[in-house]
Amino acid sequence: MKPLLRKLLQGLLLILGVTLISFLLMVWFGPDQTYTLIGKNASAEQIEQIHQQLGYDQPFFKRYLDYLASLATLDLGTSNASGEQVKKILMRTVPVSLALMIPGFILGNLLGIALGLSAASHHGQWRDRLISGLSVGGMSISFLVVIIAFQVLLSTPYGLDLFPVRGWQVSGFGSYLQYVTVPTLALVFVTLGYNTRFYRAVFIEESGKDHIRTARAYGASHTEILWKHVLKNSMVPIVTRVMFSIPLVVISGSLLIESYFGIPGIGLATFEAITSGDQPVLKAVVGLTAVAFVAIQVLSEMLYRLLDPRVS
Amino acid sequence: MGGRTDILGKLKSDRAGLAGFLIVTFFFLIALGVWLGWLGQGWSDASGGRWESPGSAHWFGTNILGQDIFQRAVYSVRTAFEIGLVVAVFSTLLGAVLGALAGWYSGSWVDATVMWMKGVLDSIPFYLFVAALAFALHGQPWAMHLAMIATFWTTTGRLVRAEVMKIKSMDYVRSARSIGLHDSLILARHVLPNTSHILLVQATIAFVAAIKTEVILSFLGLGVQDGVSWGLMLAESTQEVLAGHFANFIAASGLLFLLLIGFNLLADALQDALDPRQAAL
Amino acid sequence: MPARVADKLLYLLAAGILLLQLAACSEAPEGSESNTSGSVYRHSMDGAPRSLDPAQASSIYANMLVVNLYDTLYRYKYLARPYQLAPNLAEALPQVSSDGLIYTIRIRPGVYFVDDPAFPGSKGRVVTAEDFVYSLKRHFDPATRAQGAWLWQNRIVGLDQWKEDGSDYDREVPGLRALDEHTVQIQLISPFPQLTHTLAQGFSAIVPREAVQHYGREFPIHPVGSGPYQLEGFNSSSAVLLRNTKFRQQPFSLEEEGYDPETQSYAGLEHLEGKPPPFTDRVEVEFVAEDAARWNAFISGETDFIKVPVTQFDQVLSARDPPVLTAEMAEQFQLAANLESGFVHTDFNMDDRRIGYHPNPDQDARNKALRCAIIKAFDWQKRNEVFYYGIGKVFPGIIPPVSIEYDPAQNSGFNDRDLAGAKKLLRDSGWHAGNLPELEYGFPSSVTERQMFEQLRSFLADIDYPAEKIRPLTFATYGDYARAYLNREVMLTTIGWTMDYPDAENTMQLFYGPNSSPGSNSANYNNPEFNRLYRASATMPPSPMRTSMYRSMNRILLEDCVTISGIARTLILLWNRDLAMLPDRSFVGGFFFRFVDTGTGAAGSSKNEASRQ
Repeated sequence: MKPLLRKLLQGLLLILGVTLISFLLMVWFGPDQTYTLIGKNASAEQIEQIHQQLGYDQPFFKRYLDYLASLATLDLGTSNASGEQVKKILMRTVPVSLALMIPGFILGNLLGIALGLSAASHHGQWRDRLISGLSVGGMSISFLVVIIAFQVLLSTPYGLDLFPVRGWQVSGFGSYLQYVTVPTLALVFVTLGYNTRFYRAVFIEESGKDHIRTARAYGASHTEILWKHVLKNSMVPIVTRVMFSIPLVVISGSLLIESYFGIPGIGLATFEAITSGDQPVLKAVVGLTAVAFVAIQVLSEMLYRLLDPRVS
Repeated sequence: MGGRTDILGKLKSDRAGLAGFLIVTFFFLIALGVWLGWLGQGWSDASGGRWESPGSAHWFGTNILGQDIFQRAVYSVRTAFEIGLVVAVFSTLLGAVLGALAGWYSGSWVDATVMWMKGVLDSIPFYLFVAALAFALHGQPWAMHLAMIATFWTTTGRLVRAEVMKIKSMDYVRSARSIGLHDSLILARHVLPNTSHILLVQATIAFVAAIKTEVILSFLGLGVQDGVSWGLMLAESTQEVLAGHFANFIAASGLLFLLLIGFNLLADALQDALDPRQAAL
Repeated sequence: MPARVADKLLYLLAAGILLLQLAACSEAPEGSESNTSGSVYRHSMDGAPRSLDPAQASSIYANMLVVNLYDTLYRYKYLARPYQLAPNLAEALPQVSSDGLIYTIRIRPGVYFVDDPAFPGSKGRVVTAEDFVYSLKRHFDPATRAQGAWLWQNRIVGLDQWKEDGSDYDREVPGLRALDEHTVQIQLISPFPQLTHTLAQGFSAIVPREAVQHYGREFPIHPVGSGPYQLEGFNSSSAVLLRNTKFRQQPFSLEEEGYDPETQSYAGLEHLEGKPPPFTDRVEVEFVAEDAARWNAFISGETDFIKVPVTQFDQVLSARDPPVLTAEMAEQFQLAANLESGFVHTDFNMDDRRIGYHPNPDQDARNKALRCAIIKAFDWQKRNEVFYYGIGKVFPGIIPPVSIEYDPAQNSGFNDRDLAGAKKLLRDSGWHAGNLPELEYGFPSSVTERQMFEQLRSFLADIDYPAEKIRPLTFATYGDYARAYLNREVMLTTIGWTMDYPDAENTMQLFYGPNSSPGSNSANYNNPEFNRLYRASATMPPSPMRTSMYRSMNRILLEDCVTISGIARTLILLWNRDLAMLPDRSFVGGFFFRFVDTGTGAAGSSKNEASRQ
C-alpha cells in the first residue's frame, strides 16, 4: 500500500504544480479578454468596468486559490464569451474529441504492431528494410503537410471529393464515418512511422531472448513463436507505450486536426479560450487535463507494476 | 563502450546513416551560406509578378507578392537551423545537467524536485503551453524557443538520470569519490562526458522535433514573426493551393522532408553506433 | 497463453462498442437528418459569432444571425440601392418633431415572441413597446456587458443618468418611454439624424425580459425573439435556424423593397411577389474562417453561398471590370459584385512623437513631411492588384465611394504613387537612412496581414527606407492587437472599418479628436478645425451644406497626412443558381435570409439533396 500512497501523493503534487504553472501562464499572463468583449467606441470607463468584472484586478494568490477551489468542487462557471456553462461545453466537446481521435489512435497502434511484427520476424531481409525505410520517411513528414494534402486529395474536386471538407454534422454511424475518415487517415499516416519503429524494436529485442531460442529449438512454428511468445511477452512495453502516448496523441494532437477541419472538440475550444483569454473555460480545461494526464501516468505505472512483477 | 575507431567504422559502413550525414551537412552549408549573406538574400524582395510559374528568373516561381519562392525556401534553411540548433543545444544541456543532478542525488529532494518538474511539464499539453508562453512573453521572438527548450529537456533528463545512476556505482567513480573530489567536479569531468552518447542522439532527435514544431507553430501564428520559415510558407500555401498554385507547398514541404529524413537517418545511425542497446523511441 | 491474446481481443471489442456509443452520442446539436419536408438554405460566413445576445452583436457575424432571430424596429429595403430604411417591427418611419428631438414610433400589434420555457406556460406573448424600452436600457446596465451603448450614449434624455443611478429596470427613463402598448417615444438631448439607422442595427433588437432573467448568463446562447427564424442549434462551427411559424405574415412587395428590374432581374425574384417571408423553412449557417476550407465546401456543393476569397477570383472571373463569371461557373452559380460599405486604412499614431505630433514645431513639421512621404511612397495600385484582385476602389481620405458625399474629383491624384515627391520631402526635411525612425507596424498574426506588412516594407524600400527600420509588431489574436492600439501602443495601425449605417457621419467620426483611443479615432488625431466642423455638422441631416463641410474635413485630414487611406473592397458573392436571392453583406446583411427562395419549395432543392449524400 505504501508505494501506492506515495504515488498518489506525488500525483497530487504534480496536479498542484501543473495548475500553478498553467494558471501563471495562461491566466495571469494571458491575454486580457476585456478587449474582445467591448464594441466600437468603448469609453475608458466601460473598459475598466468589464476589466473589473472579469476579475483581473484581484491579487494573484486569491485568484489562484479561487481557481483551486472551483476545480475541487467542480464549480466551473460560465464562459465569458458566450455565457454557456463550462460544464456543458466540456460535455459537448469531450465526446467529440474522443470520437475523433480514438479510431486513428487505435488503428495507428494496431497497424504499427502488425508492421513491426512483420519487420521483426523478417529481420534483416528486404521486408524489414522496406518497412523501416518507410517508417523513417513517415517520421519525416510534417503533420501539417499531411493534413493539407489529404484534405485536397480526398475532399475537394481537385482530388477524389469523397468526403466533406470540414465540420462534424454527426447524426448516426454513416455520417460519423464520413466526417471521421479523413482526420483518421491523417492521424494514422503521421503516427504510423513512429509506432512501427517502436514496436519493431520491442519485438526484435524480445525475439533475441533466450526463451524464444528455446522455443525454436523445441520445434515451435514461426507463427506460434510470433503470437504465443513474442507478442504475448511484449505486452508490457506495448501497453505502457499506448498508455503513455494517450495524452500526447489524443489530447494534444486533437488541436491541429480540430482547428483545420473545424471540428468542435475540446482541443479547439481550449485553443480559442487561450487566444481570447476566456478564463473559465481555460481554467477548467487546463485543470482537468492536468488531472487526466496525472491520472493516466499513475494508472500506467500501476498497470506496469501489475503486468510485470519483475519491476521493483 | 567501444573505442572511437569502432564507432566511426560502424558509422561509415551504415549507408543510410552516411546518406543522412551528407544531407545534413549539405543543408548546414546552405544555412551557413545564407547566414554569411551569400545565398537567399532576396527572400523579401517583391521582384516578380504575382504567382509567376517557375522560370529562369525565379526557379520555383513567385508567391502572391511576387517574392521568389526559391530564395524564400533557401532562407528558411537558415531559420530552421537557427531554431533547431538553439533548441537542440540548450534542451540537451538542460536535460543533461538536471538529469545528472537527479541521478547523482537520486532519492533525495533534488531528485524529487527534478522529477516533479519533469512530471509537471510533461502534463501540460504542448501547444497550449507554447501559446500561453507566447502570450506571457508578449510575442517575443524567443517565446517559441523557450517553450521548446522548457519541454524538450525532459526526455534527455530522464535518460541521463538513468545512465548516471548506473555510472554512480562504477569503480572509477567510486574511487574518485573516495579521494574526496568535489561532487560537481566528478560530475563535470567523469560522469557527464560518459553520457555523451545519449546526449548526441537526443540532440539530433530534439533538432528534428524543434523543426517540426516550428512548422506547426508558425502555421498557427505563434512561431516565426519576422523573416521566413517553412512553416510560414506552408501557411501561405494553404490559401494558394486551391487556386492551383502549388509551388510554395512543394518547395517548403519538399525541403522540409529532405532535411528531416536526413536528420532521422543520422539519428538512427548514431544510435546504432553509440548505444545499440537503447530502445528506439 | 492464448488467454492473453483473447484478452486483447476482448479489449478491442470493448473499445469498438464504446466507439459506437460515442458516435451515437456525439451528435451535433443540429441533427442533420435529411429534411425531406422542408427547404434549406445553406449559408457560409467567414467568421463565427460568439454570442447571440443582441446587446453583444458587435461583429457582422453576430449581427447577421441576431436580425433573423429577433425583430428590430427598422431594417433596410432588400433591393433598394443606395440602401434605404424600411419599417420592420415599426409600422412606419418615425414621426419626428420639428426640432428633431422627439421621435414617435408605432409598432405593429399582434407580433409574438416564440414559445419558450422562459414564459409562463411556455407560450410566447405579444411584443410590446415596453420590450423595446427594456432592450435599449440593457445597453446601459453593466451586468449585460453590452457593446452597443456608444450608439445612444449622451443622446437620449435621462438614459445615462439611469445608468449612474444603478440601472434599475423598474425606473423610467424620461427620454425612452412606452406611451402605450404599441407606441414608443424617444426624446433626444440634441438632434441625432442617424437615430433611425441605429434602430436597424442588431444592437437595437427586441428581447423579452423574461428570457434574460430566466437564462441569465446563458442568455447569449438561448435566443428568444420574434424574428422570422428561431434557433435550433448553435456551436462554434455552425448554427441552424428554423422557420418561426408565429412570424407575422407580411406579403413580399417588389416595389416596396426597391426592386430595379434593369439591374436585378437576373436574380429571378419576380415569382415571389405577394408571398409572405420567410420563404425557406431552414437556414444552416456554417462558420468557416479559413478561406480554403470555405471555398472547398462551396465548390463541393455543401453550402449555397459564399463570399469568394480573393485568392479564388482568378478562377472564378473571366473579366474584372465589370466582374463576369467564367462560363463554367456561370452554369451553376450567380454573381453579385458589391462595393463594401467601409474601407481599409493605415493610421499613424499621432500620439507617438517619433511620427506624430511633437511639441517642438520644427520636429513636428519634419514628422509631417515624413508621414506625407510615406503616403506618397505607398503603391495603392499594387496593393489593390495583389490583395484585392485590382477591383477594389482606391479613394483619398475617409469618404468612401458608397457615401453620397463622395466626390471622385476631389484630391483625385492624392493616392497616386509619387516617388520623386516623396524623396524630395525627405531630403528637404533632413531625413536620411541614418536618422529615420524605426517604424513599428502592428498587425494580428495571419498570413495576409504579414504579407501586407512585407509589401509595405518593399514599398518603402523604393524611397530608401532601410528594411531593418521597418519592424513587425505582431499579436497572436485580434483582441490582443485591439488592446495594444486602443492603448496607443502601436505606431502604424491598419484597420478595416465597416460602416454601421449608410451615412458618412459614421466615417467622419473616425478622426474626431474626442473620439481618440480607446474610441474609434485610433490615429488620435486632434485638429481643432476638423473638430469644429464635425460638431457643427453632427446635428445636420444629409444636405448640400453638410456635404461641403464633410469634403472640407476630408481635405484637412489629407493635408495633415494622418492616414494612408483608403481602399473599399469589392466583394464577390456567389450563390447557387437554383436559388432566387440577392445576397448582401452590408447593411441589408442578415435581413436577406428571409427572402431567400430555394426554388423547389417543399421537396427541397435537388442539388442540395444530392450533394448531402
